[in-house]
Amino acid sequence: MRTGVYPFTAIVGQEEMKQALILNVINPSLGGVLIKGEKGTAKSTAVRAIADLLPAMRAVQGCRFRCDPEDPAHLCEDCAGRTKQGEALPDLSVRMKVVELPVSATEDRVVGTLDIEHAIKFGEKKFEPGILAQANRNILYVDEINLLDDHVVDVLLDAAAMGVNTVEREGVSYSHPARFVLVGTMNPEEGDIRPQLLDRFGLSVTVTGEHEPAQRVEVIKRRMAYEQDWAAFADTYRSGQEELGQAILRARRLLPQVGVSDALLSMVAKLAIQLGVDGHRADITLIKTAITLAALAGREQAGSADIRQAARLALPHRMRRRPFEEGALDWTAVEAALQD
Amino acid sequence: MGKGTAFPFAAVVGQPDVKEALLIVLTNPHAGGVLIAGESGTAKSVLVRAMAELSADGGIVELPLNATEDMVFGHIDLEQAVTSGKKAFSPGILARADGRLLYVDEINLLRREVLNGILDAADRGVNLVEREGISFRHESRFTMVGTMNPAEGVLTPATLDRFGLFVMAGRETDAEARAEIMRRVLAYDRDPLAFAVLWREDTRQLAERVAQARALVEKTAVDAPMMQLAAQYCSRANCAGHRAELYLLEAAKAIAGLAGRDYLLPTDMERAACFVLPHRTRQMQSPLPPPPPEQSDPDDSPNPSDQPDSTEQPPPPQNAPTESEPSSDDADDGENRDDSQQPPQSDPSDDQDRTAEIDRNFSPVNLDASLPQDRFIRRGSGKRSLTRTDLKQGRYVRSFLPSGDVTDLAFDATLRAAAPYQSSRGGDCAINILKSDLRQKVREKRIGNTFLFVVDASGSMGARERMRAVKGAIYSLLQDAYQKRDQVGMIAFRRNSAEVLLPVTRSIDLAQKCLQQLPTGGKTPLAEGLDSALGQIRTLRQKDKAVQSVLLLVTDGRANIGLDGGADGVADALRLAEKIGESGVTCVVIDTETDFIKLGVARDIAARMGAAYYTLKELSDNTILRIAKNAV
Repeated sequence: MRTGVYPFTAIVGQEEMKQALILNVINPSLGGVLIKGEKGTAKSTAVRAIADLLPAMRAVQGCRFRCDPEDPAHLCEDCAGRTKQGEALPDLSVRMKVVELPVSATEDRVVGTLDIEHAIKFGEKKFEPGILAQANRNILYVDEINLLDDHVVDVLLDAAAMGVNTVEREGVSYSHPARFVLVGTMNPEEGDIRPQLLDRFGLSVTVTGEHEPAQRVEVIKRRMAYEQDWAAFADTYRSGQEELGQAILRARRLLPQVGVSDALLSMVAKLAIQLGVDGHRADITLIKTAITLAALAGREQAGSADIRQAARLALPHRMRRRPFEEGALDWTAVEAALQD
Repeated sequence: MGKGTAFPFAAVVGQPDVKEALLIVLTNPHAGGVLIAGESGTAKSVLVRAMAELSADGGIVELPLNATEDMVFGHIDLEQAVTSGKKAFSPGILARADGRLLYVDEINLLRREVLNGILDAADRGVNLVEREGISFRHESRFTMVGTMNPAEGVLTPATLDRFGLFVMAGRETDAEARAEIMRRVLAYDRDPLAFAVLWREDTRQLAERVAQARALVEKTAVDAPMMQLAAQYCSRANCAGHRAELYLLEAAKAIAGLAGRDYLLPTDMERAACFVLPHRTRQMQSPLPPPPPEQSDPDDSPNPSDQPDSTEQPPPPQNAPTESEPSSDDADDGENRDDSQQPPQSDPSDDQDRTAEIDRNFSPVNLDASLPQDRFIRRGSGKRSLTRTDLKQGRYVRSFLPSGDVTDLAFDATLRAAAPYQSSRGGDCAINILKSDLRQKVREKRIGNTFLFVVDASGSMGARERMRAVKGAIYSLLQDAYQKRDQVGMIAFRRNSAEVLLPVTRSIDLAQKCLQQLPTGGKTPLAEGLDSALGQIRTLRQKDKAVQSVLLLVTDGRANIGLDGGADGVADALRLAEKIGESGVTCVVIDTETDFIKLGVARDIAARMGAAYYTLKELSDNTILRIAKNAV
């Protein structure tokens, strides 16, 4: 019997993780999410489920990077060239995918490399796209990102920050769009990632297993029901799924209209100064997250409640800026800054 | 992609120093490029990428970290070789950068060999290629722009010296400015094109100012008094070599040009010195605690008296700890290490457990573990990084002609090697490859060595806050290890036994926590500690033969308990030291014995182990711990 993806709305608990994922698919410019926590806490289930929740999008037919025909600023070389020559780009409907990057991935597979087959057959150089190409406009899921080779993490986060993958290797020189929602997971007990890399993640959440026995039982029940009869299980959650899908779409449409008051901006600025965060990514992510939260709630103005909630997602991993520093978020400072 | 939609230079809030430095190098390519250091999220890359629209000649060429050597310097043209059998040159990034700006983000993560090659080309203005059977040279006049986060690693003083200008990017500390940053980023995110239109006029004016300044620089004459002034600045800053003077004059010309003048004023030189001198000033004093100070725009309004008095120098670059002398902050702790002047005071019978703080002001210590006997297998690898040709891991950096079997084929290099001979070979495919064409990949893995710290935590170490300094030294070594992606493990010995506090791990954070919580107290079971270390090293070797492990023993050598509680602590310790020496592992002994009457056991142990020997005092004076393996 065919089994489908576990419905997002059927995941018990883990509200912060779910919220962080939802916010990122509404507003991919938030910069992804890092999920810290032990094994078996529905991390990868949630990531696959969120992709399944999203409605189809338009993509240029035959394009290796699934360019968005309505987004001229981020077309690949090929699509941009065709548009320039006045060619209409035929499009089709595709679904957002979860592209996985295994820990053993080598750099050439990540960024792309020389197409060996083509070179041997035709004596010509051709670029063979890698995982970053597949990830364009999709979700890139890196399980145990802290175990990934450092140089792979470097190129990964570089591409994530730029939205572009630039390749200069093995005889090929190529550049293509690589805009994706980066979701990384890690178990902090197995080694950390560098604070500078942490800062590149927009949001972070810490997940733990449910402790409430009743909740644990519910997790098991649902899992068994899902495995026994997926179709029936999916039916139970269909309306909830559709509702959430619609809410995400509504939020996406509302997002550009959401405003922030000057008072709110200076509140965030003061908070960042008080916490002494590195650079400006914290403030920027904080305000963007608040705006996205407002959009999700259907409001056209972000407020201090949104900031408070956003702080939980955007700040904790930025508190530990240097190696070896204890990184606790001072909530009294946050509250004090938000009181004014 | 997205060309013309970069965040506009003029729209960046604050960072006046970084902006000025970038305008200087845009205006005068002879100013030697610029290195920007700063914590993450301070618009370093944003500003550099935005320079493209201000430059008249073709903008910026970016060198990604994943670049292989052939792509940087150029290589044989595959298509031409196949079709015509001719060995033609296919230009690399340096050729593309000719007459433009070359931008390397995270330049401190770039391989040293590649970086040196690039800087050589920048110096000469010519790229010389001798590879893959081709010999080629082409003009390559470019301005180097690098950005780096000092927390990620350092550049050597020699490399720093190649950059004309140096500038620190800091964070904004003014709430209104921070709010404005958010406002602009939000507006840009919403509609990059509309945002660019909003700033088009400012951008145009800025570009015009640069163009005019360029023209003025051409006409600016430097008279003798100015040259003398430049020489004075540099000699008072104690700069090595004569690059500094030239860069100083060129930067000053750019500053004058940007101010609309075609003649130099002493103030131009003063301002130029703020950028040209900080990274090449060799000074006696440099406050250098590990955390970078809060700093936004210290040089916004330069005070003439700031320069170049050596005590009032702009802060030395945070990224050059190898260059710096011990920090002045250490003076307070000096007494802890200058115990030699004090009457003997050790307290081996001290049975109380105490937990010393980590002395975080301990001067940074770098581990130099480039073991000379390994050079030949490590050729082509970066700082303390291992090239392992038997494992197909790590970054592919170059290729070579293997003497034996090929285990990790470099397809691109193999194809290029085979290409020129295709017309004579025939065959079914477009390319017919013979065994002699096969090339092996050289990979670099950034993960470094394994450092096993064996720490004496006995009561005698706790005396006179000695442990605070010891922890400071280890902490400093851990920081260096962190930057170089080393693995660490930690064993502590005290009372009657040795304990593996931390099995070898990549998580240096955990090591730091162990260090923090490590109490001192009780006897000194040095032999137990060494025995445990030997066991760890054997396990490590079984796991991974290729791994380079270094044992760092920190002790005062006052062994007063033997193996299994035996009486002869020193004899047992010496015997085990000899065993460790025989095992061939690289060792370092840091002797913390500072009492007036020295027993010198640690020195004997070091001799038996064939270890490099340092006293804690030396370690606080020397910033580099050279782990050279002495002959046993």
